[in-house]
Amino acid sequence: MRTDAAQAGAIPEALLEPALTVGTVTPGSLDDQVLAFPETKPPRQWYVGLAITLTAMFIGLGFIGYTFVKGIGAWGNTSPVFWAFDIINFVFWVGIGHAGTLISAILFLFRKRWRNAIARFAEAMTIFAVICAVIFPLIHVGRPWLAYWLFPYPNQRALWTNFRSPLLWDVFAVNTYFSVSLMFWYLGLIPDIASMRDRTTSKLRKTIYTILALGWRGAATHWQHYEKAYLLLAGLATGLVLSVHSVVSFDFATSVVPGWHMTIFPPYFVAGAIFAGFAMVVMVLVVVRETMQLKNLITMRHLDVMNKVILAMSCIMGYSYMMEGFTAWYSMNEFLHHGFMNIITGTYGWAGWVTISCNILIPQLLWFKKARASYFWMILVAVGVTIGMWFERFVIIVISLHQDFLPSAWRIYKPTMTDFGVLLGTFGIFFTLVLLFARVLPVIATTEVKAILPDAQPSHHGDDHHA
Amino acid sequence: MPETSYAVLGIFDTPNALMAAIPKARAAKLGAVEAYTPYPIHGIDEALGLRKSPLGGMVLVMGVIGALTALGFQYWISAVDYPIITGGKPIGSWEAFIPIMFEVTVLFATFTAGLGMLFLLNKLPFFGHPVLASKAITGITRDRYVLALEAEDEGFDSTAAAAALRAAGAVEVEVLPAPDRSPFLTSAFILRTLGGIFLACLVAGVAIYSLTKWFPLLKPMVYMQDQPRLNAQKPSAFFKDGHGMQKPVPGTVARGHLPTAVGSQDASANLVNPLPRTPDVFAVGKKVFTTRCEVCHGAVGNGSGSLTSAYGAKAANLQSQQFRDYPDGKIYWAIVNGKNAMPSHAPYLSERERWAVVHYVRALQRAQNAKDEDLKVVAR
Ligand code: HEC
Repeated sequence: MRTDAAQAGAIPEALLEPALTVGTVTPGSLDDQVLAFPETKPPRQWYVGLAITLTAMFIGLGFIGYTFVKGIGAWGNTSPVFWAFDIINFVFWVGIGHAGTLISAILFLFRKRWRNAIARFAEAMTIFAVICAVIFPLIHVGRPWLAYWLFPYPNQRALWTNFRSPLLWDVFAVNTYFSVSLMFWYLGLIPDIASMRDRTTSKLRKTIYTILALGWRGAATHWQHYEKAYLLLAGLATGLVLSVHSVVSFDFATSVVPGWHMTIFPPYFVAGAIFAGFAMVVMVLVVVRETMQLKNLITMRHLDVMNKVILAMSCIMGYSYMMEGFTAWYSMNEFLHHGFMNIITGTYGWAGWVTISCNILIPQLLWFKKARASYFWMILVAVGVTIGMWFERFVIIVISLHQDFLPSAWRIYKPTMTDFGVLLGTFGIFFTLVLLFARVLPVIATTEVKAILPDAQPSHHGDDHHA
Repeated sequence: MPETSYAVLGIFDTPNALMAAIPKARAAKLGAVEAYTPYPIHGIDEALGLRKSPLGGMVLVMGVIGALTALGFQYWISAVDYPIITGGKPIGSWEAFIPIMFEVTVLFATFTAGLGMLFLLNKLPFFGHPVLASKAITGITRDRYVLALEAEDEGFDSTAAAAALRAAGAVEVEVLPAPDRSPFLTSAFILRTLGGIFLACLVAGVAIYSLTKWFPLLKPMVYMQDQPRLNAQKPSAFFKDGHGMQKPVPGTVARGHLPTAVGSQDASANLVNPLPRTPDVFAVGKKVFTTRCEVCHGAVGNGSGSLTSAYGAKAANLQSQQFRDYPDGKIYWAIVNGKNAMPSHAPYLSERERWAVVHYVRALQRAQNAKDEDLKVVAR
C-alpha cells in the first residue's frame, strides 16, 4: 500500500497519491454512514427538493401530453429548422450521461482509485440522463405509440429500416448504451444491496433487498467471476463512451448541411459530452456531499480532480471551436464561411457568444487552485458549462439549419412555451430520480470503497494491481 | 449432528489473518475451502487455488457472434430482402453497417458478461444457500472475513473442522446445519405465489375494465383520420341530393378517352367493332365485364345480377334473342350513353375497353347458346 511508511519514503511527496478518505474510515463505519440513509427518515430539505422537482416534472409531463394531443406543431419547429429543441435536448442529455460511464469504465481501466467513491452516483446520473434523453426522439416521432417502428422487425407491410441511416445507428447506440449502463450499475449494486439486506430490520426492505441481491453471499469463487465481469464490462463500456456520442454526431456529420458536415464532429462531441457530464456531476456531488454529510468520503480532492478534467475538456472544446473556424476559412467555401460567421455575428450571434464564454472562457478559472477548492467558483463554472453546452447544441443545430444552401428558405426559428416546458420537465424528471435514488440505494459504492481503504488488502500482496 | 452439518465457518477480523489461514485450512484437508468476504481480496484466487474464470472466452465468443449476427442481418435486409440504394452506394456495401455491428457486439458481450457471470458461473439467484441463513452473514457483507470448510461427503467432521479453523486463527467459529433441500419450493410458497398471480390478474382485469368503461377511449391526434370527407356509398349533407358519391357532370370525358358517342342508338347500328378477336382483347373485356357489368347483368349476362328490387328496374337479359340479334354498335351505344335505368359508362371505360366488352358480351352469348360447329372449333 502507498500508505506504508517504507514505500512513502521512496516516492517524492508531490507524486504521492493523497488519501482517498478523510479521517478514519473502516468498512463498518462506512456501512453505518452510507447504508443508513435508506433506513432513516429523509430530512426536510429533501422533501422541499422533491416538491420542486416533482412540480417541474409534472409541468413537463403536461406539456408532453399537450404535444401528444396537438401534435408536434405545438413546438416551434418549422421549415427549414425541422430539428430544434427536441434534438438539442436529446444531445444535451445523452451527453450528460457520458461522465458516469467515463468515471465507471475508463477511469476503472486506468486504475484511478478515486473514482470508486463517486462512480455509483455518476452511473446513476448516466441512467437518469439517458432516460431524459430518449424522451425526445420518442415524442418527436409524432405518434409515439408507433415508436417501435424504429426497430427492424418483420411486419406485414414488408418494410425494413434503413441500416445506412445514422438515425437508425442512433436507435441502436442509445439502446445499447442504456442497457449496458443499467447492467453495469446493477452489477455494482448487488454486493451493496446484499449489505443492506443483512443490516436492515424492516421486513419489507429485507424482502425487496433479498430479491434484488439475488442471494449474493460474497463467496471468493463468486468474487472471482464478478471481478472479471466488471473488468470486461468496463472495457466494453469504454468503447461505448466513445461510440455513443460519435454516433450521435453522425446524425449531423453525415449530412451535407454547412456547419455539420465536418470530420471533427465525433471527437468534438465526445469531449463535449464528457465536459457537460462532469459539470453536472460536480454540481450534484457538491450538494450531496454537503447535505448527506459525506465530506469524509467525497473529499475536496475528488472535486479538485474532476475540476481538472473539466478544465482539460474545456481546452479540447476550445480547440474544436477554433478548428471549426479554421475549416470554414480554409475550405474557401462561402456557405461554410457564412455559417461560421453566423455563429459570431448572425441573428443568433448572442448564442454563439454564450457558448464560447461559458465553455471556453469561464472554465479557465479552474487553472487556479483556489477556484478548484472553492464551492462558489466551481459551481459557477459547472452551471456555466451546463448552460454553455446546451447552447452549443443550439448553435450547431439551429444556426446551421436556419440559413443553409437555399436563401429563399431562410427563416428565423422561435421556440414556443411547449418547447421550454418539455425541457423544464426533463430537468424535473432527472432530479426527481436523483433524489429518489439518494434515498433508496447506496449513494456510494461501499464495496468498492472498502476495497481501497487502508489495510483493506493483505499486506504481503503486491501494490501494483489494485482495483 | 456433525454428519448433517453443511460447513464450518471461521471468522477473521482482518484480510491478513484470513490470507494466513487459507494455506493451513487447505492443508488440513477436512473439506472444501471457500472464503466469504465483503469485497474482493487480492491474491485470494491463487491462495484458494481457483481456476481462471472462463468469462473472458465466453464474452469473446458471444461478441463475435454478435458482430456476425449484426452483419448478416443487416446485409440480408439491405441487400436481399429489401434492397434499397442509399447514397448511390452498391446494394451490398457493408461499411455503413459497422456502427450497428459495433453496438450489437457490445450488447451481446455485455449481456454475456453480466448474466453469464450471475446465472451461469455463480448460479445466482440462489436464496436458499446455508451461508445466507448463518449468523456470520451480517459480518460477511460488512467487515468480517470468513473461511469456510464445507462438507464434501458424509464423512465431514465438523468438530475437527472447527478445531482446525480455530488453530488457523479464527476468532469465532460457526457450525452450519445442512441446508433445507427445498427452502423455496414449499407448498405454502407455491400456493402463495399462485394466489398472488391470480390476485394480480384479477386486480388488473377489474382496473382495465373500469378504466375503459368510465373513461371514453381518448384517441390522441386523430385529426388526420377524422377529417370531414365524402365516403362513397354514404350519405352526405354536402350535396343537394344527399348522396356522398356524385354522378359525373354530364359530358365528362376521362383523360385520354374519346368523347361520348352521339346520335341515336339506331344510327350506331352500323358501327363496326374495330378490335380483333384475340385472347388479349377478351381478357380486357372479361375484366371490364366482371368489374362493371356483372353486378347488374349477372356473371353470364342473363340479367340475374345482385341488383335488388330496390334499384327499381331489372337489368336486361343479354342472353335473350333480342340482344343476341343486336348489332355490335347498339350494344356499344348502350354502354356509352346508358339506357333508361342503365347509367352511362362512358366516363369509366376507354374506347378500347368499351369495344372489348362488346366482344366479351358476344362471347358470353355464344357460350350460352353453343352449336355443334363451335365444338369443332375447339377440337381443331
Ligand atoms: C347499374 C346496373 C347496370 C350496369 C352496371 C350495367 N347495366 Fe346494362 N342495363 C341495365 C338495365 C337496368 C338495363 C335495361 C335498361 C332498359 O330499361 O332498357 C340494361 C340494359 C343493357 C343493354 C341493352 C340495351 C338496350 O338497347 O336495350 C345492354 C347491351 C347492356 N345493358 C350492356 C351493359 C354492359 C356491357 C355493361 C357493362 C359495361 C352494363 N350493361 C352495365 C343495368 C345495368
